[in-house]
Amino acid sequence: MAILGETQDKGSPFLSRLMARLRGHGDQVITFFVLIAIWQVLSLVLGVYWVSSPWGVLTRFASGIWSGDLLVNAAYTFIEALSGFLLGAIPAILLPFLLRRLPMVTAIIDPVMVGGYGAPKLALAPLFVLWFGIGMESKVALVAITVFFIVYFSALAGVRALDTRLVQMAQVAGASERNVARHIVFPGAVPYIFTGLRIAMPYSIGGAVIAELISANRGLGYLVQLGAMNFDTTGIFTALAMTTLIVFLGNWSVDAAERRLLHWRPPADIKMQAGT
Amino acid sequence: MTMPLLEVRNLAKRFVGRAGRDQPLWVIQDLSFSVADGEFLTIIGPSGAGKTTLLNMIAQIDVANGGEVKFQSQVSPLNDPKALSPGLSCRIGYVTQEDNLLPWRTTLQNVLFPLEVQGRLDAVAREHVAKLIRAVGLGGFENHYPHELSGGMRKRASLIRTLAYDPPVILMDEPFGALDAQTRTQLQEDLLRLWNLGKKTIVFVTHDIGEAIALGDRTLVLSRAPAKIVGEHLITIPRPRDIRGIMMHPEFAGLYQRIRAEVQ
Repeated sequence: MAILGETQDKGSPFLSRLMARLRGHGDQVITFFVLIAIWQVLSLVLGVYWVSSPWGVLTRFASGIWSGDLLVNAAYTFIEALSGFLLGAIPAILLPFLLRRLPMVTAIIDPVMVGGYGAPKLALAPLFVLWFGIGMESKVALVAITVFFIVYFSALAGVRALDTRLVQMAQVAGASERNVARHIVFPGAVPYIFTGLRIAMPYSIGGAVIAELISANRGLGYLVQLGAMNFDTTGIFTALAMTTLIVFLGNWSVDAAERRLLHWRPPADIKMQAGT
Repeated sequence: MTMPLLEVRNLAKRFVGRAGRDQPLWVIQDLSFSVADGEFLTIIGPSGAGKTTLLNMIAQIDVANGGEVKFQSQVSPLNDPKALSPGLSCRIGYVTQEDNLLPWRTTLQNVLFPLEVQGRLDAVAREHVAKLIRAVGLGGFENHYPHELSGGMRKRASLIRTLAYDPPVILMDEPFGALDAQTRTQLQEDLLRLWNLGKKTIVFVTHDIGEAIALGDRTLVLSRAPAKIVGEHLITIPRPRDIRGIMMHPEFAGLYQRIRAEVQ
């Protein structure tokens, strides 16, 4: 048996490793191809004019990459989403920690935060274009404000979920207020923060694309808009496929960061977190 | 007579009822005892007798409503939680009922935690901790996270976390309560061995009469809430003691019977 496995590995190590990985995701691969098949059937039934065919999108995608056109616009959207994500997430993570010792202030700003969380951020997009122009700034602002409120509430929940017994243990052992914040409060809140980041991540990319739809001369949202104006569904589908790809990339990055930072958790815990 | 290291005098503690609807409940009232330097004191009482509350007040993570706790002539504050100084500058260690290990730190990092926050982490301290880890049989598990350890191992880690920074007084709240008999005996032996090396002052709370006799120099028996002292017994069984055979000792049965009669 061992010899057989060895010769197989030697035959084509890359292929066998790929097969081994795919075997674990068999259901996902099947689902993917079923969806592509449905898409193909729809384009045949409704006509390529309304629903572009998978093959058409794939060739357009390849030529877009080849010419660099698609890549440049994707990079533009990606940079907007990433900057907005960081600009929104970092203060959202820090704020609950700074306000931890000031429950009064937290209570005072709470209605503002709830309002901000609930307000439809898309409605702000035209306002931001008015303020910041049609360049990157308005998109970054929209993404940042969307991400901020999502992450703020999850970080706040993390700070509030603090186990006071751990704090007392640390204080008895001689930990200062700063030590408690750094060694107890923050690590305890990290799982909650990641829940927020995971939810906010697709919003950051979606937010950037939608802001571009409203007014832009670059980016994936601009490509969608351009496709719509030219009755070019293949163009629209290609831009959306690229958007989805970036969302996957973002998800994968959050996953990787989470695995790194939360390696102390029992494995089942991480799965549960990912499921929510 | 020498000055006691730790003195509890007329201590009282009440729990306030919900929004004034219920009468405040006195869990401890007029409780007095003292602990000598180097003494191993065990305190026994029925569950709900306020044993944990008593230790919390000595460790200054909970505030008293009457009387005082005097440690090295320093008196604990009354009624004002903000005036508390938990652990009194690392001179009172506290091994709680739950192990309270930090789930994001490995065994070694957990044991080093007090030394780290006290700024005392040097090569000598690390060597000392490595010895403690081996002494309680945690060698090979230094880099495991708490969820990867058994209940007994977690208990050991939490015990040596306190021993590692060497506070002169250690409070212990039923530290071996949730363990199986075999592990418990093992840990009791470990504890006595470590205590013999350093001769610390230990206040050990338990609801197990056998444990109270086997470990202590002296045992106090608490009543149901409001807790008062209803019995005091000197345990003169010579040390070093054989935990596994202690029940055969001629003094054991008599002590057990007398304490049994006082604990209801």
